[in-house]
Amino acid sequence: MPGLRAALPAALLLLSSFPPAAAERLPWPQVPGVMHPLNPSHREAVWAAWTALHYINSHEASPSRPLALHKVVKAAAKMIPRLGWKYYVHCTTEGYIHGENAGSCFATVLYLKKSPPVVHGKCVHAQNKKQIQEEDHRFYEYLQHQKKPITANYIPDSNGNIAHDHLQLWGLAIVGSSYIMWKQSTEHTGYLLAQVSSVKQQIRKDNAVAFKFIVLLHEIPTQQMNVCHMYLVWTLGHPIRVKYSCAPDNHGLEDGSGQDSGSAAGTSHETKGNF
Amino acid sequence: MLLFLGMAFSLGILIPGKFSLKLQYDGDQVLHIVPETLQQVQHLQHLCSTLLLDLWKPLLPEDIRAGEDLHIRVPAPLVQEVKDSLDQHTISYKILIHDVQELVDQSTPETSSQKQIPESYSYTQYHPMEEIYTWMAQIQKNNSELVTQHYLGETVENRTIYYLQISQPSDKTKKIIWMDCGIHAREWISPAFCQWFVKEILQNYESDPKIRKFLQNIDLYILPVLNIDGYIYSWETARLWRKNRSPHMNGTCYGTDLNRNFNSSWGTLGVSYNCSSEIFCGTGPESEPETRAVVQLIERKKSDILCYLTIHSYGQYILTPYGSTTEPPSNNEELMRVAQTAAAALTEKYGTSYEVGPTSLILYSNSGSSRDWARMIGIPFSYTFELRDKGTYGFVLPADQIQPTCEETMLAVTAIIDYVDQKYFPGGATMLTSGSLGLSLCLTAVLTLIVT
Repeated sequence: MPGLRAALPAALLLLSSFPPAAAERLPWPQVPGVMHPLNPSHREAVWAAWTALHYINSHEASPSRPLALHKVVKAAAKMIPRLGWKYYVHCTTEGYIHGENAGSCFATVLYLKKSPPVVHGKCVHAQNKKQIQEEDHRFYEYLQHQKKPITANYIPDSNGNIAHDHLQLWGLAIVGSSYIMWKQSTEHTGYLLAQVSSVKQQIRKDNAVAFKFIVLLHEIPTQQMNVCHMYLVWTLGHPIRVKYSCAPDNHGLEDGSGQDSGSAAGTSHETKGNF
Repeated sequence: MLLFLGMAFSLGILIPGKFSLKLQYDGDQVLHIVPETLQQVQHLQHLCSTLLLDLWKPLLPEDIRAGEDLHIRVPAPLVQEVKDSLDQHTISYKILIHDVQELVDQSTPETSSQKQIPESYSYTQYHPMEEIYTWMAQIQKNNSELVTQHYLGETVENRTIYYLQISQPSDKTKKIIWMDCGIHAREWISPAFCQWFVKEILQNYESDPKIRKFLQNIDLYILPVLNIDGYIYSWETARLWRKNRSPHMNGTCYGTDLNRNFNSSWGTLGVSYNCSSEIFCGTGPESEPETRAVVQLIERKKSDILCYLTIHSYGQYILTPYGSTTEPPSNNEELMRVAQTAAAALTEKYGTSYEVGPTSLILYSNSGSSRDWARMIGIPFSYTFELRDKGTYGFVLPADQIQPTCEETMLAVTAIIDYVDQKYFPGGATMLTSGSLGLSLCLTAVLTLIVT
């Protein structure tokens, strides 16, 4: 069903725009404490896997090699009384940027009613961790040494092309967007990064590397495109810091300007820590 | 006249009044050759490649066959050399056109604002709507024995919607397989596939017995772009637009999701009644002219339509009915089996894996889809394809993936067509492999003898 993403007052207004909520029931009996095996190709399993990967990408993975879902191997769900549904997912992964085999992850995803999903994940990497660290390091140094701020638009472009120089920038956008997507994910609403609309580096005096992104997140099943303004700070060896603000893209405008759509559904969030 | 038109399009000439290309093809000749032996074929292929000759028929050197027509345009400076070479290899030829430029001059078209038609259409690029319109007209002109372009209806912004009918000439009434692309504007790989599909069928018609077999009894109706206004909007204004461009609320909000607008449990699940939503189902079932255009034709012909295919992206799925209920259709088992065969055929090409199943279980619930509607009105085989990828590029699939996506999807679609053909027109030669070809021909001959 279309996710009711808006703040409460707006949600009340929007409720009248949606038909009776017929299908938010899960298709298996809801007995607490019992593990229900899930069909690995069905949406609940797939979206739980993506939620886990969004979390993993933003907290653990590297801007050089973010992960994408290859396939769900096995999945199950259990109702935790008073909390919500907890999903157990075992999936294989591939490199987001180049599609190479990246190993597999096992994760649990607990969807809560009023907070972001609680994810615990453990991945086995098929890739050479040291090599990835070196790539990150090189990229980081390259960004630190920019005298003129790097800017770019539309990654990928309309024809799906990405300039070689922009691949790692895309990776950084993926990592930052994954933070947003993890936080917004629910059992019934999932997200994928559709396109990076723009990226502008912010030159800082400290060691950190910072960017202002505008990214478009594809929301499923509402099919909505959400325009998110994302301020990202990356210090090598530390978790990424993200401040963001999202709103549905109602005018078909991709630059996010003119957010006067009348919808109240703008959400602003930041990670803890100084910016 | 037809030959000239074919030639003009092949040369990509459009000569506006002032910018004359008068001397470009002066003295060029077009030769007609029917190679007799494999050796001759090989020599001709060698000649074409090394001298970079312009092949008019077939399109590629590798498609030159013994016993089949070959038309080559030879530039003036090479004419003597080529003829000498042909004489040396005792390859006989006829001169089809003595002077290409002369013919061109005879019928110089009027100045027009039309874009120059490229010499060969690239099926591995995304094309704007203007080029697709031109392509459709050209495809019909170049393949008039098999292809006719038909008017389907008009869009909100009054653009004409055409579909192509691929039909083998015969006095039989045929059954129909329908395929539409581009219901959702941003899914560019979808119209690219429809164009690829048409090209493949036409290019391989003469050489592929399987194609000729199913075309004996089945016509193909291909709609390359249904949501034309949306598609143009995604090229000119907003790449990730989905819906059509119908205005609502005094022009402050645009677009209905055409795939929620059909009369299949319309407005019940997985939709919004609010125009600002991407899954706005419209003001009523079939409220949109694009929806009505499809509905009118399919309703009219439904007793002859065996299969309805609708192409989307992304996700890598072959989806069966229904989206609006988890209650399966009566022929669910068969639908699933055929879809699984199709998905397996697809995977064989490049290892791309597709999931198969009902939308309501695999994806999410939704009502008003064209695929549900087709099944509900009685079309037995009804599928939604969600093409590459699985979300890393999503809607902005790189153009370099057009070819592999289309090649693998072709295998899936032809698997479905073959099944439908064999189910409704059983008997006769089933030419699945060249190995079984001889055997099945013998069987056919024997059966024919027995029957007559």
